[in-house]
Amino acid sequence: MLGDQSTELSENGEDEIIRKLCANGMCMKTSEVEAKLDEGNIQEAESSLREGLSLNFEEARALLGRLEYQRGNLEGALRVFEGIDLQAAIQRLQVSAPPEKSATKKKGPREPQQSVSQHAANLVLEAIYLKAKSLQKLGRITEAARECRSVLDSVEKIFQQGIPDAQVDTKLQETVSHAVELLPALWRESGDFQEAISAYRRALLSQWNLDNDSCARIQKDFAVFLLHSGVEATPPSLASQIEGSYIPRNNVEEAILLLMILLKKFNLGKAKWDPSVIEHLTFGLSLCSQTSVLAKQLEEVMPGVFSRVERWNNLALSYSAAGQSSAAVNLLRKSLHKHEQPDDLVALLLAAKLCSEEPSLAAEGAGYAQRAINNAQGMDEHLKGVGLRMLGLCLGKQAKVPTSDFERSRLQSESLKALDGAIAFEPNNPDLIFELGVQYAEQRNLKAASRYAKEFIDATGGSVLKGWRFLALVLSAQQRFSEAEVVTDAALDETAKWDQGPLLRLKAKLKISQSNPTEAVETYRYLLALVQAQRKSFGPLRTLSQMEEDKVNEFEVWHGLAYLYSSLSHWNDVEVCLKKAGELKQYSASMLHTEGRMWEGRKEFKPAIAAFLDGLLLDGSSVPCKVAVGALLSERGKDHQPTLPVARSLLSDALRIDPTNRKAWYYLGMVHKYDGRIADATDCFQAASMLEESDPIESFSTIL
Amino acid sequence: MSDSSSSHDSPPPPPTTTIVDDSETTVANDSDSNAKCQTAIQSLATIVTTTNIPSTISLLLDDDAVSTAILSLLLRPDSGAGDNNLCRWLYDTFQSAEPSLQLLVLRFVPLIAGLYLSRVPLRQPQAGFEAVLLALYAHETTSRAGQALTVNIPDLSHPSIYHESKGLTKNNSTCLNIAVISSTLDPHGTVRSTRRARIVGVALELYYSKISRMPRESKLNFCESCEKWAGQNGEKEQSRAVIPTLSDDSWREEENVAMGGRSERDSGRIPLPWELLQPILRILGHCLLGLKVEDREVVEAANKACQSLYLRSLHDINAKAILATGSLLRLREMALDPKNQIDHTEISNDAVISV
Repeated sequence: MLGDQSTELSENGEDEIIRKLCANGMCMKTSEVEAKLDEGNIQEAESSLREGLSLNFEEARALLGRLEYQRGNLEGALRVFEGIDLQAAIQRLQVSAPPEKSATKKKGPREPQQSVSQHAANLVLEAIYLKAKSLQKLGRITEAARECRSVLDSVEKIFQQGIPDAQVDTKLQETVSHAVELLPALWRESGDFQEAISAYRRALLSQWNLDNDSCARIQKDFAVFLLHSGVEATPPSLASQIEGSYIPRNNVEEAILLLMILLKKFNLGKAKWDPSVIEHLTFGLSLCSQTSVLAKQLEEVMPGVFSRVERWNNLALSYSAAGQSSAAVNLLRKSLHKHEQPDDLVALLLAAKLCSEEPSLAAEGAGYAQRAINNAQGMDEHLKGVGLRMLGLCLGKQAKVPTSDFERSRLQSESLKALDGAIAFEPNNPDLIFELGVQYAEQRNLKAASRYAKEFIDATGGSVLKGWRFLALVLSAQQRFSEAEVVTDAALDETAKWDQGPLLRLKAKLKISQSNPTEAVETYRYLLALVQAQRKSFGPLRTLSQMEEDKVNEFEVWHGLAYLYSSLSHWNDVEVCLKKAGELKQYSASMLHTEGRMWEGRKEFKPAIAAFLDGLLLDGSSVPCKVAVGALLSERGKDHQPTLPVARSLLSDALRIDPTNRKAWYYLGMVHKYDGRIADATDCFQAASMLEESDPIESFSTIL
Repeated sequence: MSDSSSSHDSPPPPPTTTIVDDSETTVANDSDSNAKCQTAIQSLATIVTTTNIPSTISLLLDDDAVSTAILSLLLRPDSGAGDNNLCRWLYDTFQSAEPSLQLLVLRFVPLIAGLYLSRVPLRQPQAGFEAVLLALYAHETTSRAGQALTVNIPDLSHPSIYHESKGLTKNNSTCLNIAVISSTLDPHGTVRSTRRARIVGVALELYYSKISRMPRESKLNFCESCEKWAGQNGEKEQSRAVIPTLSDDSWREEENVAMGGRSERDSGRIPLPWELLQPILRILGHCLLGLKVEDREVVEAANKACQSLYLRSLHDINAKAILATGSLLRLREMALDPKNQIDHTEISNDAVISV
């Protein structure tokens, strides 16, 4: 195939190109020689060359071979080359070359000698190289690779001390560079991957005096080969190392190293920009989840290579994948500015998603989502569903930011509307089903919530832990504790033990709700054993890399246990657990809340209120602490009226943040009662009792 | 709470290098493995009755008729059941610890994984598929002793074998950025649903490690599975604008013809956590960029799969997946560009040829 093509090509060109053969200051046209070659008469063609241009046998053959090759007559070229004993020629050169070389080195002015030798060498080497190319085009890849390798072996033999930079003949260098580049490609094509790897390394680690562009090409090819061939390369041999230098241990490391080096070369202007390199690096680093490194590489790319919006968007993707949301949002704000590309769908959706995770940005995110919905038209209409989903999430998050009650319920209902709209586009998207369920649950529509929770478990085949937890929470909110426990047990069956932490905590809480504290304590004890085992069985690597998904959090366990003991009024146990928890995490509002409960239980009100206030200082929006202070003050308000307004404002504030906090409603009712506003008190107590019937054992927002 | 540590009786041997050098095996091993191969072939003959089974394992590996017969058996609705003969055969054959037989089983991993994951929501019994996948998982777990696979992301301020650096080597250790490509493997005796993606992901990692020896049909099966998993078939048609590709549009017409009924189109979408998506992308990367000789059909199929996964990652707004799939698509596009197809090893075609 290849052969045919090149024949065609050269035939097309033949009308225009009248080839000439030149040597020793003489030239002759090729037509006569070509005619003889076409008759298959190599000897005659050769002898007419030798006479016409006064050449020796090998020179004439080499010229003829090249002529045949250029004419696309590959079989002919092979026949001509096979007539030369190339190995013998190389041996002759080998004998003669080194002394000459050392002579030139010492005496200097004998350059003509040197160039003659290089000239002769090139003649032979080029002949072998063209033989390899002809074999390649004829599909005889392995033979081609062997010939090509012999070019390089010969170069090493002939020029044992290397070719002096300043004196290298350009034609010789060209042949060498070609051969260096061709060899690994041939081995690769022939399927001999180990040979290919060593050929690549030979090309890159030995001194071939390659120019920057061809070196860059080889580096890139090798990186691609390492990343994608699926063949694990043995690490480079120890011989090739300079002391203290970094040695890649596996394919991915070596490929990323090469790609980074290439990128640096581009940045320094040492090689021509090749857009595929950054794409390969993007792929490689994303596979390793190292997009923060990718972001750094993207930042280093010279201006003018990417448009700025492209750069910002890619950077934003990288930062967002690396969990650096605020950096990503900042970049997206730039690229979505009205003077840049305000309608870019991918950027809009990403911005909306990032904003939906942060209550203070949710309103901004809703704006992006709305723009995405408006722009998802025509061919991109299917992304409208994603836009709607993001709008729903942003509005739902926005509803958490304290605003008026009216505003909150408006946002909540709009959020539901958007999510409902999204599900019309993507009825099969389990994530969406889940989000819709959580949204219903937060609005205490528990029936709908449990329906979606079950649907989510079905759609994911129970493979997502949060689905199980969600269903259990919804059931607990419906006060169906034993069913919730069944779900939790089923989930535990489907979970490997290191992921069981949150489920076990849930189970302990369910036990408490069912007034079964001893079993709850038992569950916690098991959890602690799990934590210990986990710490022992994994080295630092596990904790380092899986920190974020480390589900069994020791602090949470101790704190949970402390809370459990506090509800049993085992104050000494509470103190022990709190001490343990405090060693792991010093400042935590929720822990201070439990501590306050402990003091409260021991009837020591001063330290209790101090602990609650410390909690509030740490986290100004800590609802439990607010409620606790409010409750304490309202109790005192029985006798000292002046504290009641303070309690009232604290409790109202807590309800502004979390309107479903039944304790806050209850104590607010008490405040009203002590103040003599019986009707208000009744309303509050009613709210508290209604909420008690739909209170999950953990807040729904913990699972999103 | 018993994570029963292993479900297989004889632990498989340590991992062999990718290129198995048959000549190195001793005569004794030879006869042993021959016996194993013969048993496997004979028992396969009782399951696959529609075509003749070749008499040697090397012929069997490349036999299209047998592959097709096995494929059609696997495609039956009840093929994943625990009492399925073929699953049992695949399980036993893999457990034989004979490298060539294991390759034969791996060849069908794309289809098994594809069917298994897509059938999960249908609540069919799939103990047979699970046994095969668990065997692969257990093999990989033992062969790397449960250890995570990590990569040190290089830092160019240190000199390496490929470059020099003038920057002083101030702190050798802290600069290294360790990335986990595949996290630690805990033994699993059953498929717990929350570990399902990981188990299948590891089976795919194993498949990838032998991918250079997999036949093209197997890779085509894989690409088809990916498209189903992504579940974006309906949208690919319309979303030219967001897919980073410009030139080749031929596949679109092909797909119009090939697109089946609606129900077929909608089913199959599965959750794609990173532990599953990552090995998928590595395999697709190989199909797109790592074949030793360009195979248009495989490349096109992989490209289609990539497009589906790209759209899926847009729908999930999964930044990492957007980056990875987007770069594969752009690389494919660049490869098609004629200006990138110059052969730099070609000699200059001068009119004057001189010595």
